[in-house]
Amino acid sequence: MIRTLNDVSRLAKEKGPKKLAVLAPEDREFMEAVKKSQQMGYIEPVLIGNQETMQRVADEVKFDISNVEKIFEVDRQAIANLGTAMLFTGDVDMSSKGQIPTSFIYRSIIKEESKAGTGRTISVITLWEIPELDHFMAFTDTGANIYPDYKAKVAVLKNAIFLFHILGYTRPRISVLSGQREIGGPLASHEDGRSLQKAAASGKLGECEIIEATSFFEFFVGKGRQLADYEEIDIKKLPEILLVSSLDTGNILCKLDFFLNVKRRSLVMTSKGPVLIPSRADFCDSIMGEIAMGVVVADRIKGVV
Amino acid sequence: MTGTFKEIIETAEKKGARKRVVVPWASRENMRILGKASEHNFIMPLLIGKGREVEMLVKSTPLASLDHEIIDEKDSGRALFKAIQMIRENQADILMQGDMDHQMFIDSVLDDEKGLLSAKLASFVSVFQLLKRDKLILITDTYLNNYPSLVEKQLILENALSLARILKVDSPKVAALASIEQVNPGIPSTLDASILSKMSQRRQFGNVIVEGPLDIDCALDKDAALRKGVNSIVTGNVDIYLTPDIEVGYPLAQLLVFIGKMQMVGILMGTSKPVILDLPFVSNENKVAEIALAALI
Repeated sequence: MIRTLNDVSRLAKEKGPKKLAVLAPEDREFMEAVKKSQQMGYIEPVLIGNQETMQRVADEVKFDISNVEKIFEVDRQAIANLGTAMLFTGDVDMSSKGQIPTSFIYRSIIKEESKAGTGRTISVITLWEIPELDHFMAFTDTGANIYPDYKAKVAVLKNAIFLFHILGYTRPRISVLSGQREIGGPLASHEDGRSLQKAAASGKLGECEIIEATSFFEFFVGKGRQLADYEEIDIKKLPEILLVSSLDTGNILCKLDFFLNVKRRSLVMTSKGPVLIPSRADFCDSIMGEIAMGVVVADRIKGVV
Repeated sequence: MTGTFKEIIETAEKKGARKRVVVPWASRENMRILGKASEHNFIMPLLIGKGREVEMLVKSTPLASLDHEIIDEKDSGRALFKAIQMIRENQADILMQGDMDHQMFIDSVLDDEKGLLSAKLASFVSVFQLLKRDKLILITDTYLNNYPSLVEKQLILENALSLARILKVDSPKVAALASIEQVNPGIPSTLDASILSKMSQRRQFGNVIVEGPLDIDCALDKDAALRKGVNSIVTGNVDIYLTPDIEVGYPLAQLLVFIGKMQMVGILMGTSKPVILDLPFVSNENKVAEIALAALI
């Protein structure tokens, strides 16, 4: 079971290099991350984007791309289509978002999944490494579905469970987060949670467990009790997967790494391999970490699909 | 500008006059906390409940040796009604929730005719103390309203601004949060945030800057915002975070408490006098600061 980002980095070195299609690496932080990841032996990059811009930022970060495979294209949707098609034909092991709107990549993935006849729903899984926690914790969906309905939540959860199985978690624990509290009446997120819990118990979601608790308070303190002091908070009580009710919730919570002492890695699990979704605001180290995660997932997915 | 919970307590102490805190159906823990707050000399507890039982409970806490008053009432519903009446008739200054059903308490406090609602809408504000510097941030609404409309978000913001003024925040900087920093007609939170931002540009909130929509990375980090093309005085230095709905506000506040280990207190805003809710994720150790905050209002 992969528990930490150190494990991920170590495995990425062992299992790399993997072929990575980088969609519009037209920003210094991205290009620097690609350069360092290549140097670390994680990846063999394929750069897809604007010729002049890619060359300029490569020069800025002193990255000699003369021997790197490049595809020149300026149209953002065409870049996304090219990279995603390469993933689905097996020409690359994974792809990564650069300076390109995520919606363009989603569109390309939907098209390819449809061609492949998988019926797979797109969702973003954001993993957190939290100090003193002996496992990863993930939020999902943090990027694609604005207000997922029950059916979409099932699909979103299945994607996350698949990722955790790949990472070696045989029976991930899941909470369906909700704003349900002592006041305010019933919320749809809570109702969906109860239904998902039943679905999981009957085996419809694969090997996993959906726990009763739907809030951080319930994980750490429990209904009917009062938080006495912060010493009683045992971080190990966190489940592995937190299903959020909306894009607002997922995106706002998952990027609190800008504030807290946690590390974040985001990816989309397609049927053919991972698509990395760093934020356009992310910095080199974070993007590199994401690439390492992609390498490990790409390596392990080969034996599964 | 008040920067820490310690300062809130010190300011309440310096104000001099002791505020009368009325508590219907107080638990032993309520009394222990009231005892600790009383030691700072900024409150005078008024306990409404079964006289003999309240006396016994008080005896087991430090409150026994401090000023307090017990008002006999055998029924918890009537105790709450009495407490609200006392606030309305200016016989008490702060209402603190005792050991009673949350929905019943809220419904009574916000009752149109017999309650304490003074603004067009009540809302709950969480106040956090930053870990790395002396600054308080406000996050709202983290408890009361489920899915506020644009009009309701405006009222929630105005309530938070009232609290910011009490905490002496000069020209508050507000992040109207959404999942992305771009205005997307498919994501309602981005539309509301952009309208609030425009209203602030036209100075409809006074000397306040509302930036929105902001995703959380832009709100928290100026460099991250610049990389996304957002250049604003608000980014990286937010005083008030306005959340899109309860599905964000409620877990956000709790995540900062339980994973971020950030100290939090909260207060109901929009009432004629301060109301303290008994939220289980406000730690007992922070409840004195919570009462002090109410005493400042």
